[in-house]
Order: sequence, then structure tokens, then C-alpha cells
Amino acid sequence: MSDALQDLLSLVWTGIVTGCLYAMGALGLVMIFKATRVVNFAHGNLAALAGFVVYGLTAMGGGLGWVASVLVALAIVVVLALVSYGLIARVSEVSDLRGTIATLGISLVLQGVVQVLFGADIVNLDLPVPNWSATVAGLRVTSYDFAVLAVSGSVIAVLFFVIERTRVGIAFRAVSTSAFASRVCGLNIHAVQGLAWGVAAGLGVTAALLIIPSTFLSSTTVASFMLQSFAAAVLGGFSSLPGSIVGGLIVGVTMNLFSYFVTSELSATFLLVLMLAALNLFPGGILPQRGGGSRA
Amino acid sequence: MPEAVGVVTHAVTGEARPLPRRLASWVALVVLAAIPAVAGGFWTYSVGVCMANAVAVLSVGFLLRYGGEVSIGHSFFLAFGAYCTAILERQLGLSVGIGLPVAAIAGAVLGVAFAWPSRALSGIYLAIATMALALAVPELILQAGPVAGGYEGLYVSRPLVPGLSIELQRYYLPLVVLGLVVLLLARFRRSRQGLVLLTARDHPRAAEAFGFSRGYARLAAFAISAAVASVAGSLLAFSASTVSPNSFTLSTAIYLLVGTVVSFGSLGLIGALAGGAFITLVPQVFAAWGDWVPIIYGAALLLVITLGHRPAEVLAALRARLAGGRRDA
Repeated sequence: MSDALQDLLSLVWTGIVTGCLYAMGALGLVMIFKATRVVNFAHGNLAALAGFVVYGLTAMGGGLGWVASVLVALAIVVVLALVSYGLIARVSEVSDLRGTIATLGISLVLQGVVQVLFGADIVNLDLPVPNWSATVAGLRVTSYDFAVLAVSGSVIAVLFFVIERTRVGIAFRAVSTSAFASRVCGLNIHAVQGLAWGVAAGLGVTAALLIIPSTFLSSTTVASFMLQSFAAAVLGGFSSLPGSIVGGLIVGVTMNLFSYFVTSELSATFLLVLMLAALNLFPGGILPQRGGGSRA
Repeated sequence: MPEAVGVVTHAVTGEARPLPRRLASWVALVVLAAIPAVAGGFWTYSVGVCMANAVAVLSVGFLLRYGGEVSIGHSFFLAFGAYCTAILERQLGLSVGIGLPVAAIAGAVLGVAFAWPSRALSGIYLAIATMALALAVPELILQAGPVAGGYEGLYVSRPLVPGLSIELQRYYLPLVVLGLVVLLLARFRRSRQGLVLLTARDHPRAAEAFGFSRGYARLAAFAISAAVASVAGSLLAFSASTVSPNSFTLSTAIYLLVGTVVSFGSLGLIGALAGGAFITLVPQVFAAWGDWVPIIYGAALLLVITLGHRPAEVLAALRARLAGGRRDA
């Protein structure tokens, strides 16, 4: 195999791995948007807070094990997501736009809390997976890659199973199709919307914890990692769950190729151009929308 | 997004403003004009920057009011105006007198170019694209190379009118431009185009029946807003005398939105000044507790957003309580 092809293959592979994480972030954003018609700009800050809680409990002398700290962080974040939802549900009764602005307020508060509690420094946080790597057909794969694929694959599979096959999933789909009609039918829409916020926060935290080892953790970086998730969601049409997974993979692979072959210093600009191009070429998202809003 | 109507706007009726409020604006102008004579250099500088920021707050408020759109990317247009002014001075020796109009026109063109792809789509796409825009600013500045001065940035030191004190010019230029922008926006509200934009926002179908699509309205609102933001950037460069990539981050853009929201989306002089002062002075006053600044801004934003949709009720309740208190006393 030629060297160029080798490079390309490994770039695509790592792009798919990070793309799965962007997809998980995007799924959370889209779930929140579908359930409450609000674009949640606090998604990344909440995930960053979780990263710092895990860092504080394991590395900073908290002395807790990894699993316990992740569970504590998840619990904190889900509670915070429910509080945010409570705030925003009141506000977005007036208008959706107000709800979106309110999420910016929440994101500022969360960013400030992280800075006050943990400082503005950059820290490193590693995954507790055995360090292992192998070369398959010239492609270097690591244990980190497999951990990411296994976790994101199973989380996404469970999510889709719940949405497609369970009563809770039907309720979520009903609320996202028409909140008003669901309320008329006697659904407790606040419970469904709250659930969507909680699950979305969990997805964001999982994605953030998996992506931090490949970069680093600071009070602002994880928030901007969310830009990739936003781009993935926009590519997918912002209200299609499968679309956001495809979008995540596209963003992961194309960003990898762009930063290797062109420059690594213009990633936000690249995402901006990608989003604007996608909006022009595929106004409805890259996957064709199924009518009737029946499935995810 | 017809339900976006009353975002932070509560008084969008088109009549000329009542006399007391106009009087208050004139009094504020007179007081501002007198500040350099009374206060020291530090306050002259700070209030000058406040007024430049007030113009920036107006640009975000304009988009919110007339377009019903949230932008967290206006730091891009601020940076564009600021660097336009600085680079014209550095490369061609032109003062802000040329730099400011150039920035305004080029800013409007950029605004259209940016809003074009999402002209027919829901407003959420625009909001998300503005986030990418804000994150792209520092990258683009650093990528521009030595022309833009890299991390250190550029200085803006050429006076508008040679021979007069530069400190005073750095104060009075923002004052004059702020007054002009407020006047123009008030005229715009009564103009045909102003009505078109408001109709397209509240009743898109009615506007379409009159031949104005929502896409046109979004482009027009964004172009004007971007032009005002570029002017604000030009003023900021002139009155702060320096531009650097650090002053145009995503936080800058979000803080501008905070300034707009805490001024209740006002497009008047007093509201804009309040918003400008809030985003300029809070970091100065709380310099020792820098980490708390985002919390203060976030809390202020949430407070206004949760209570602000019924300012009339809240005010009435407050007034009743105050009046009651007085009667008791």
C-alpha cells in the first residue's frame, strides 16, 4: 500500500473515532431541540463541569475510583440539567428564542463556576483503559479507539432502542412532533422534556469524558469542542437523530483531513464554511426527512 | 418564528417617544459631553470605551428587535471594523475618519454574505453559525499574518483632527457617533423599511403578501446590524487605541448579548449606555474577582430573561410596594 493511501486510511479511522463522539454530543443537542425547541448553548459547559468533577475526584486528591467519580459527575450533571430545564421551561413558554438566550446565561454561570472552583488552568485527564495498540493491515489501532467505539456504539444503540421500541420513546416522539397534541392526549410533557434534558446531558458528559484524553481539559475548551457537535447537528438537519450521527462522522473525518492536508489552525473557520455550505446544499439536512415525524 | 415577538422587547409601538424620555436622552448627552471637563483621565477613557461598547450593544439589539435573531458572533464584525481601521492607518496612513465609513460599508457586505446561506431557514441555524463565526475570529486574525500584527495586535494613534488633544478625540468621537446611531435608528423605526422588517418578523405572511419575503428581511436586518457593529469596532479601536485577537473572543460576543438583554433590548440612548456600561465596567470593578465575572453576567442575563417578559407587571408591583411603603411611613 502506498504511503499516501496509508495516511488517508489512518486519518479516516481516527476521524471516525472522534466523529462518534461528536455524534453523541450532537444527539444530545438534537434531543433537547426536538423536545423543547431550544438550542442548548450550555451543553458544552455542562460537560466541561463534569470533566472537572471527575478530575477533582480522581486526580486532585479526591481519592475516589474512576467509576465512582464518573457516577457522581453524572448525577451532578443530570441534576443541573433538570434545574436548567426547569428554568428554561418557564422562560420558553413566552418564546423559544428566550429559552435559547437563557441557555447562554446558564452556560456563563457554569463556566464561571468551573473557573472559581478549579481555576482557569489546563489539566490532563486520562481514561483508565490499558495502554495497548496493534497494527492491522498497516493501520494503527489503539485501546482508546476501541473504548470510544464500544462506549459510543452501545450508548447510541440503547438510545435508539428506547426511542423506537419503548413507551417512553413513543412519548418522546409524540412530544417532539407536537407538544400541544401530546398534552391534550394526557401526556405529562414536563416529565418527557425533563427526561430528554437529563439523557442529553448524560450523552454530552460521556462524549466529553471520552474526548478529553485526546486533547486536554480547561474551562473553555470543552465548550468549543461542542462546536463540532453543533456542526454535526446542523449537517443532520438539527431535528433528525440518525442525521446527527451521519453528520458527526462527516465532521470527524473531514476535519481530520482538513487539518492534516491544509492547516490545523483554522478549524473553527472550516466548521463555519462546512455549515454554511451544508445549509445551502442540503437545507433539510443530509438525510431525507421522513414524513409524519413518526420515527426518530 | 412568530412567537419570537417579545424577546426582550416590550414597547415596540411606533409612536414618537414621550417627551420625558426624549428629555432624559438630551440630559444624558449634556452630562456625557461635560464628563471630560470634570473627571480625570481614567474615567474619560473608561466612559469613552463604554460609549463604543454601547454602539456594539445597539447592533446586537437591532438584530434581536428587527430580525428576532440571537447572535453570539458579533465579535466578528467588531473585530472586522477594528482591524479595518487599524490596518488602514498602519498601511495607508488613513485616520479613523476614513476607516470608520469603510468599516461600515464593508461590514454590511460581510453581514449579507454571512446571512445569505441561512436566508430561507429557521433562525436557529443563524444562531449556531454565529457561534462558529465568533470562534473563527482569533484564528483568522492570526492567519492574516504580519498585516494584522499577530498576538500583539496593532496600535491606533492617528488623531481624527490633527492638532487637538487625542485623549479628548478618543472620548468625543464615540459620543458623537453614538448619538448619530441612536438618532438614525429612531428614524429607521418610523421609516418604510423599518415597518417592513417588523412586519416580516411578526407576520411573515402579511409581509409576503406585500412583496417582502422573510429572507429579504433577515438579510436587511443582518446587514444593518453588521454595519453598526463594524462602526462600533472602529470606535473601540480608536478609543482604546489598540486592537488584539484577545479582545474578540466568543465571550466578547456573548457579553454583547448580555449587554443587550440587560438593557431590555432598548434601542435608545439610555438603554444602550446602560448595556455598554454594564459590559465595560463590571470587569473593571470586579478585576480582583475575575473568575466571578461570567457568573455575574450569566445571573444578570437569567434574571432579566425570567422576569423581563413582564417588566410592566414587575414595575407596577414594585411601584405599588414603594407607594404603599411611603403611605405607611
